[in-house]
Amino acid sequence: MSYETIHVKPLNPTIGAEIRGVDLTKEVSNQQFDEIHRAFAEHCVVFFKEQQPVPPAQQIQFARRFGDLHVHPAAPTHPEYPEIFVIHTHKDSKIANGNSWHSDVSCDEHPPLGTMLQLHQLPSCGGDTLFASMYAAYDALSDDMKDFLNALTATHESEHIYRGRYADRGVDDAGTVYPSAVHPVVRTHPLTGKKALYLNGAFTTRINELAKAESKAVLEFLIKHMAQERFQVRFKWEQNDMAFWDNRCAQHFAMWDYWPEERKGHRVTIKGERPV
Amino acid sequence: MSYETIEVRPITPTVGAEIHGVRLSEPLGNQQFQEIHDALMEHQVVFFRDQEITLEQHKDFGRRFGKLHIHPSAPGPEGHPEILRIHADENSKQVAGHRWHSDVSCDPEPPMGSILHLHTVPPSGGDTLFASSHAAYEALSEPIKKFLGGLKARHDGTPNYNRRARIDGKDDAKQYPHADHPVIRTHPVTGKKGIFVNPVFTQSIIGIPEDESKAILEFLYEHNRRPEFICRFSWEKNSIAFWDNRAVQHLAMWDYYPQVRSGNRVTVAGDRPF
Repeated sequence: MSYETIHVKPLNPTIGAEIRGVDLTKEVSNQQFDEIHRAFAEHCVVFFKEQQPVPPAQQIQFARRFGDLHVHPAAPTHPEYPEIFVIHTHKDSKIANGNSWHSDVSCDEHPPLGTMLQLHQLPSCGGDTLFASMYAAYDALSDDMKDFLNALTATHESEHIYRGRYADRGVDDAGTVYPSAVHPVVRTHPLTGKKALYLNGAFTTRINELAKAESKAVLEFLIKHMAQERFQVRFKWEQNDMAFWDNRCAQHFAMWDYWPEERKGHRVTIKGERPV
Repeated sequence: MSYETIEVRPITPTVGAEIHGVRLSEPLGNQQFQEIHDALMEHQVVFFRDQEITLEQHKDFGRRFGKLHIHPSAPGPEGHPEILRIHADENSKQVAGHRWHSDVSCDPEPPMGSILHLHTVPPSGGDTLFASSHAAYEALSEPIKKFLGGLKARHDGTPNYNRRARIDGKDDAKQYPHADHPVIRTHPVTGKKGIFVNPVFTQSIIGIPEDESKAILEFLYEHNRRPEFICRFSWEKNSIAFWDNRAVQHLAMWDYYPQVRSGNRVTVAGDRPF
């Protein structure tokens, strides 16, 4: 695929590409936007390199070009910009966001299409993010298994994850009802038309059409299957890199191996459609 | 640890570092050699960039670390039996090392380390992943550490090398080395303990029933490859990786077919694991 206004460098043949030649602190031209969108659809996750810190209003404006913004059901947000989810881990943190394989907020009826994260402060070493292609994970299954899974739906829940999760960051969640939703086990990407596995070890609690023991066995198999190295890219951040991942075809895992050091940035999440 | 004659840039806090400021085509000074050795002990696998070296220089570098090992199933080119050619292209039916393993662990004295130089790399893909056996061991619970600490496992090269020959359409009924090694080995230099079983060579844990052995080995293989124990290295032309087989396992990703990936490996002999 050719690009005229940006430079796209695939990180491996399966997933992930670096984008250079665009300055996200400035308005992005229509052609650049189209090409970024194309690279995003092609590689499941793109990394904008050589960036300056993008002001919150500008990050929100850029993200809005991909769709309406999503406000996180549980996490602490930026004081002035509720669309900004402040990612911050430091010496007193008891948890770090995303420290296991997941697709963002898959417990929502309309889970986010994509997530855009810029990191302004990095630990001296560590804090990589891993991304896995759920197209590749689906394609690697046998035809019989694909047929079996195509007829199934799964329940995604969040109560067990979010209740009290951000209490130490000042979030009081008494009275909050955390979302749950039913989604197909295999979803079709609305842009590419390709099929992707859509369940994860964080939010998915059961496969609805199966007996409990069967659901447990199939989930265990798929979660292990999806975690194979051949579906992955491991991204090593540099200051002010911006990652933009497609939650419809990628899962990710944020490595918290840098305690007690600090890692901080701004995340904006774009609303998605109901998975089909 | 501080270094005076080389620059060491860790890749993750757990495993792996790039070494800069050294040219491996020239003889190493004693202090540089010592510091490279220190960095290898500290990070378990080290990487060098932009190193154009000949087979002789490659072997000379390896010999600084010990006697060179000759591979039991893949003898080197004319005049260089210590060189293991690593090559994949459009005609390859398989590649070496695409499952997690520690090199030639079927040997009674498996290699201490391997030094791989790639002179041809695909435009993208072909990464190598390294997993710290020490970190994986440290993350186990005390009861399981104690349980595994008393056990040995049988490693055998015959099933693996025969199977590889079959895939290439060759008739290979040869017997290859086998050996019994402790499931948890102690690193002879650092004194750290690490898990020393892998899905390529390990057949079973000795002295426990087959179903128990299977369950424990499956668990350990899954445990070993958790992302927190791993670094993933992207090669460039003339990169060199030097890994300590006593401290890490590795996996070579074959995601670049039909592209070419090609280079040479020198393997440094090791001791009997304890």
